[in-house]
Amino acid sequence: MTSPIAANIRSLTFTLALAFLVTSIGAAYWTILASDQLANDPFNPRLIAATSSRPRGAIVDRNGAPLATSEKTDSGFARSYRDRTLAQVVGYASTKYGLSGIEAAYADSLIGQDPADPVSIWKARYFGDRAPAGQVMLGIDLKIQKAAADALGGRKGAIVALDPRTGAILASVSVPSYDPNPVVDPSKQDAAFEQLNHDQNRPLLNRVAQGLYPPGSIFKVITGAAALESGFDATKKLRVDDPYQADKSWGDYFVRSASHAHGLFDMADGFRLSENIYFAQVGLTIGAAKLTEYAKRFGVGATPSLDLPAAKGQVSETGSIDRPTLLADTSYGQGELLVSPLQMALIYATIANGGVMPTAHYATEVRDAEGHVVRSIAPGPIGQVISPGTAKTLSAMLVGAVEGQGGFAFGARIPGVQVAGKTGTAENRPGQAPHGWFVGFAPAENPTVVVAVIVENTPEGGVTAAPLGAQVMRAALGK
Amino acid sequence: MRAEAGVPLGRARFTELSLLVWVAAFAVTGFVAVLATETSSFSPTAAIVPAVFLTLMLALHVFLVGIRFRGDQILMPIAAGLTAIGLILVQRLASDLLLQQLSWSIIAAGAFAATILVPRDLTALARFKWTWALLGVLLLIAPLLPLIGREVNGARIWIKVGPGSIEPWEAVKILLVIFFAAYLEEYREVLSHTQRRIGPFPVPPVPYLVPIVAMWGIAMVVMVFEKDMGATVLFFGIFLAMLFLATGEAFYAILGLTLLILGGFAAYHLFGHVQTRVDTWIRPFDEDLRFDAGFQLVQGLFALANGGLLGAGLGNGMPDRIPVVWSDFVFDAFAEEAGLAGALALLALYLVFLYRGMLIALRAPTPFLQLLAAGLSFIVALQTLVIVGGNLRLIPLTGITLPFVAYGGSSLVTNWMLVGLLLRVSQVSERMRGGGAP
Amino acid sequence: MEITFAVLLWGVRIAFLVLLYLFLIRVFGSLQRALATENAVAARPTGLAHLVVQRTVRGAPRLGDRLPLRAVNALGRDAGNDIVINDEAASARHALVEFADGEWWVEDAGSTNGTVVNGEIVRSRERLQYGDELAIGRVALRLEQ
Repeated sequence: MTSPIAANIRSLTFTLALAFLVTSIGAAYWTILASDQLANDPFNPRLIAATSSRPRGAIVDRNGAPLATSEKTDSGFARSYRDRTLAQVVGYASTKYGLSGIEAAYADSLIGQDPADPVSIWKARYFGDRAPAGQVMLGIDLKIQKAAADALGGRKGAIVALDPRTGAILASVSVPSYDPNPVVDPSKQDAAFEQLNHDQNRPLLNRVAQGLYPPGSIFKVITGAAALESGFDATKKLRVDDPYQADKSWGDYFVRSASHAHGLFDMADGFRLSENIYFAQVGLTIGAAKLTEYAKRFGVGATPSLDLPAAKGQVSETGSIDRPTLLADTSYGQGELLVSPLQMALIYATIANGGVMPTAHYATEVRDAEGHVVRSIAPGPIGQVISPGTAKTLSAMLVGAVEGQGGFAFGARIPGVQVAGKTGTAENRPGQAPHGWFVGFAPAENPTVVVAVIVENTPEGGVTAAPLGAQVMRAALGK
Repeated sequence: MRAEAGVPLGRARFTELSLLVWVAAFAVTGFVAVLATETSSFSPTAAIVPAVFLTLMLALHVFLVGIRFRGDQILMPIAAGLTAIGLILVQRLASDLLLQQLSWSIIAAGAFAATILVPRDLTALARFKWTWALLGVLLLIAPLLPLIGREVNGARIWIKVGPGSIEPWEAVKILLVIFFAAYLEEYREVLSHTQRRIGPFPVPPVPYLVPIVAMWGIAMVVMVFEKDMGATVLFFGIFLAMLFLATGEAFYAILGLTLLILGGFAAYHLFGHVQTRVDTWIRPFDEDLRFDAGFQLVQGLFALANGGLLGAGLGNGMPDRIPVVWSDFVFDAFAEEAGLAGALALLALYLVFLYRGMLIALRAPTPFLQLLAAGLSFIVALQTLVIVGGNLRLIPLTGITLPFVAYGGSSLVTNWMLVGLLLRVSQVSERMRGGGAP
Repeated sequence: MEITFAVLLWGVRIAFLVLLYLFLIRVFGSLQRALATENAVAARPTGLAHLVVQRTVRGAPRLGDRLPLRAVNALGRDAGNDIVINDEAASARHALVEFADGEWWVEDAGSTNGTVVNGEIVRSRERLQYGDELAIGRVALRLEQ
């Protein structure tokens, strides 16, 4: 006999009820689970509407000097940006093209709804009573910023200066930059945005945090740190003969010394004269696992914690070092390494800070309209990466690299101040000029500023970069 | 609350009345909330609308009591509640269309009353099944005809009637259910009592399948020409469901679903508009879609995100940023302002409607009435699931409306007639069993 | 003043949700009660159907008798059954005929010779429609209104 209709009705109803359940779960997903991400989408008209009818909060430097402000015009409020060199950091707030930079990262705070002030969020959401926006204060010091911008000039590259004790970023320059004002002007925004997107030099990129480059010799501090903490004797002299090869299995691959050296070197000499063969031998001695471990401890290959987007570098293509030639190369800063200027600044800040790596951040405070501090942005340090003893030893050797006899980083000397630092000339693509690096800190005995400089494709390499670093440090130290 | 003794309660339909009182309560509250936030364009018409609507519902109730109608008392209040929410949302989202929707509500109430009174004998419906089939086909084809047909938003599913236009396919879905119910009652034994089997698969007796497959085929082809994805899915679903209800053969259901998926693939590659819909469903946030074809869905999702648990509050959200929100995305708009709580309540109302309809089907005394009631309930449930699924990005978006709630005259009228038919079936059951009205 | 208005407005919005849910709960409650009444109705002795004796043997119910059916009816040889079928071919407890979910059902209670409906042996629980012929042993009964 055929099955009764009643049974079929029951099965069908059950199936439909299941479908309703799935639908309810879907509703719950979009209203609750995925809601934060959607609410902060820069193209969400709710977020945008909350902004254009009222003045947006100002973004200021550490001394209160305005960097981005909302000016009253006939048709509402328009955003005005004061400093071109901070374009990638401050970002833009466009109703059409969304938000970027600090404008995006602190979007809630800039419309008076900072997460640290739930009452204002409640009032805005449920009573339509939006608090007048206060301001977001950055750690940037315009004086240092200007010095950095002037130093780098029109050369492609980046300079970042930060306080090793707190991680606050004092200056951040990425060249080429652009003028963000047309992007937020409704009559000019389409053309401006089109041009920026198609510019081969990528002015929208914040090279400080998002530019990835081979480090070259500045990486040697990591090799040195790994060696020192493995019990390697830094005072032992090693034989250096250019060119160098561990054994015949390397074929026609050799490590070459920048100064075609032949002699005995200890680690201090290695830093002072930036001796690749010395560090290659150190690397081979401590082994790939140790080197990789310390690179990772220093944050290479991980995304640094930052309130703006940051790029993840790499230790090697695969993440590990699997052959001796690659180990040798990586030990003196080439190989397949990729780092950002920010990451390098943090690494040297660790050395400057007794082995404790600080957390980098652009913003330092959020204030309300009356000037009261709503939220203080002072993330604690990431942790103790190396022992204070190791840091001290490395610091002394870095001083030697600048101040010592024949030190390659002599260009970074500042009269009356002990400067610690290292230059790097990083080979990148064959046929292209190398990148010039300098990373250093001052004053060496009690550092208050760390600077990382990279000048893209400059034949003189680190020699070009070092004086730029000095210029920035002088501005920071008030000399 | 009365304690019923399981004895027929007689003439007064108390349950219905008390439920309508609750409808009145939240309807008035909802209107007040929406009107209070429209500081700029307060018009006295807006305040009259809830009064007219509630009077209308009361009139229907009095009408039912007056003709001593013995039957279900739950479906009509649910329909009234959903229609009320619809009116509130139209006021909120497209206040210039409010009077139109109210007029349609009045027409729908009239159609409901007509369905209650005519035809005298429901089973007579079964006798005219071929008439319904023919009428259904004519109505389906009508929009394709040159003089009276109209194309709106790429879909040619409208016909001009006097000053306005209607979507005949809404009526066709009911005609289809009546036809299938009648046909399947006659032939269900044959269709499921499959003697021959190839391995595990039953071989359906083809000659008996031909008329219904033909009917269904015509509906599908016409829908493809009229470019209405939603109606196509709906007709397909109705066909499969009716077949399953009548025969219980899961094989038909599985085969049908497989064909649907295969057809879907083919449609994706053959038809541009299908491809857009599916692409938008899969990656709405991609650069090339999110400002263009995917804009509506993305705005809908933004609205949902703003809803949270309790909603942004009636009148406090920004659902008006969703294009054509009053007919395509009412669910998202309601979810934004009434939150997940409101959205779940709305879904629950449809689920209870489904359950009540299916219960009526279970108790119907003849197979035709069982299939009819179950089919009609299925229509409402499927329509709800498809449009809400599209709004929630669970499935690609289609153009069908949320029953009773979304703006749309034809939909409202046919759905109220559907409720009338369900009530008629329950009336037959009550008479036959002499049971008590709940 | 502004704030009071805002608070009032929020009160109305919350009231809307609350009332909507109360309506939903009431609807659900009514549904439950409808279910209960309709089940109660179905359980009553129906007076709706009879088994009319079509074929019989000596001692079993008389030919042509209209036997009224209750909601649940036990059929068999035993005197304790609701409908006694006094045929040796029938088992003491032979079959069950009951009215449930608006339908009539027949179920074999484990009889020796089986229960037959319209010529086919009843395997489990089968629907019994008006006009169907139920055979218990050599006695045939037809379900009629």
